[in-house]
Amino acid sequence: MKILVLLRMSPEPEGALDLNADGTGLDREWLDLRLNDFDDHALEEAVLLKEAAGGSVIAVAVGEGAQRTLQMAIARGATSAIAIDWPNDRMIVAPSIAPTVAALARDLAVDVVMTGVQMSEDIVGQAAPIIGGLLGWAHISGTSNVSISAGGALAVTQERGSGFVAKYLVATPAVLGVQTASKPPRYASGTKLRQAAKTPIESVALGKACPMLPVVSLRPTKSGSAKPLGASPKLAAETLVRVLADKGLIRGAP
Amino acid sequence: MKVLVCGESRDNQPERLFFELLTAGRSVADSGEVVALWIGSDDDALRSQLGQADRAIAATDPRLTSATAEVYATLLLKAIESEKPDLTIVGYTARGLDYGPAAATRAGLPMGVYVVGLERNEGRLAIHSQIYGGKMIARLEAVGAVLAMVSPGVFAEAPAAPLDASRIAKLDIGDALSSTKVHLIEETAPSRSDVDLTTAERIVCVGRGIGDEQSIDLARELSRLLGAEIAGSRPVVDNGWLPKPRQVGKSGQKVRPKLYLALGVSGAPEHLEGMSRSELIVAVNTDPNAPIFNVAHFAANCDLFDFLDCLTEQLSELGAA
Repeated sequence: MKILVLLRMSPEPEGALDLNADGTGLDREWLDLRLNDFDDHALEEAVLLKEAAGGSVIAVAVGEGAQRTLQMAIARGATSAIAIDWPNDRMIVAPSIAPTVAALARDLAVDVVMTGVQMSEDIVGQAAPIIGGLLGWAHISGTSNVSISAGGALAVTQERGSGFVAKYLVATPAVLGVQTASKPPRYASGTKLRQAAKTPIESVALGKACPMLPVVSLRPTKSGSAKPLGASPKLAAETLVRVLADKGLIRGAP
Repeated sequence: MKVLVCGESRDNQPERLFFELLTAGRSVADSGEVVALWIGSDDDALRSQLGQADRAIAATDPRLTSATAEVYATLLLKAIESEKPDLTIVGYTARGLDYGPAAATRAGLPMGVYVVGLERNEGRLAIHSQIYGGKMIARLEAVGAVLAMVSPGVFAEAPAAPLDASRIAKLDIGDALSSTKVHLIEETAPSRSDVDLTTAERIVCVGRGIGDEQSIDLARELSRLLGAEIAGSRPVVDNGWLPKPRQVGKSGQKVRPKLYLALGVSGAPEHLEGMSRSELIVAVNTDPNAPIFNVAHFAANCDLFDFLDCLTEQLSELGAA
């Protein structure tokens, strides 16, 4: 089984986001980036599938910090690494990178492409169905478990929302948008990271993008009308106890 | 503007989101048509309920009762090619996030996803897309045909109304069902044997801000004092710190308790979809811009562990449980 896993660098979910001068994107000079959470799970699922079925995992990364992420991927079990040339002052969106990833998947004759089901920075969101659409391959998103069936197809579990779970057989070649790996992502030891640093990393040029809409402006989401409970944790807790007591949600109040 | 609305059906009944998408379409159609694409085993529900569309095209076959995203993508592409709409609307659902982008890619259409607003301005369509975990709204402008994936809960449901049979055209399903590469084997309903968050009156939900698995014990003690169920956001469950039946959100449970206490939950749109209709929402987060504060009734912008200590101590003294 030859697997390509796409890894994208994304702004820290808990980090501060500042707008750039013209208000069409983020000020990226001091922006903290890390591997997209869902792509972390896609990497884990790819390595688990390789360990179960044999084969190889080609890690393909894009965005500022891709080299470091690829070394981490190698340390965790990927067998080779490719970085997509990317202008670091731009947000990563699926239509920009999908044609390049699709071309790599075709040229390298991979059986499966895996990536995270979504990325918070991406105005288009889902890379997997776009890559699948470009290649004409089977694709499915929101996966939580992937294995090989007796007949050789992929046995895929998908989370459908409200707790409903569906199981599919998916013919290869295929593209999977991973929601959750079968196991939590593993850590890479310092020793493995030092070994991985010696692995050569190829680079490929970014290809022509799919049609996409430009971001005309970006603004913070309007803040809601939540009442502040208090300036300190103690005061906030005292206020909440009174609120809960007033609403009959707890017994008594100070 | 001609708008094609592709909603979904379950057991041959339109999902509630279908009615929201019709409202979304009508809001920008102006004097243009709103055309519904119906995919189901027959068109009974289409005729009796989806009359807020000006007309409809129907793909009907007994095997379409539980059509996969792959089949939806093929049929939606056929509809786009035959109708040539200015705007195609798809719901941001577990199934939609597969077939919407696939159909758009194959049709060569640009997309806007996580859509929380649509507007017409001097003939141009503007799309408001919520990104960065709900922290930012991007404004996109379309100059040609486009596909928008609209988030649930943004538009009001259009009222059900009958649609005259003369306004329904058949869509030839061709080989949509015979040339498939993705085969549904089974679908299972959520198990209620462990916990049923959907019936819980009080929920204490921990998010990524809880830090590690051990710290959840602090929230467990608080939930015991409040008589609440403990729950988690997606990152907490993905890390294996809480079991899947305790996940709230798009891919977990949709809840409406009397009290929802969110501890260290940022409030990504997918999480808000599962809990924003709770009666009383209290959010505790160190990030003042956390989107959870946009739906909370009460907010504490402070360290959640300090807050947990204070609240647990006060409730213990009261014997509140």
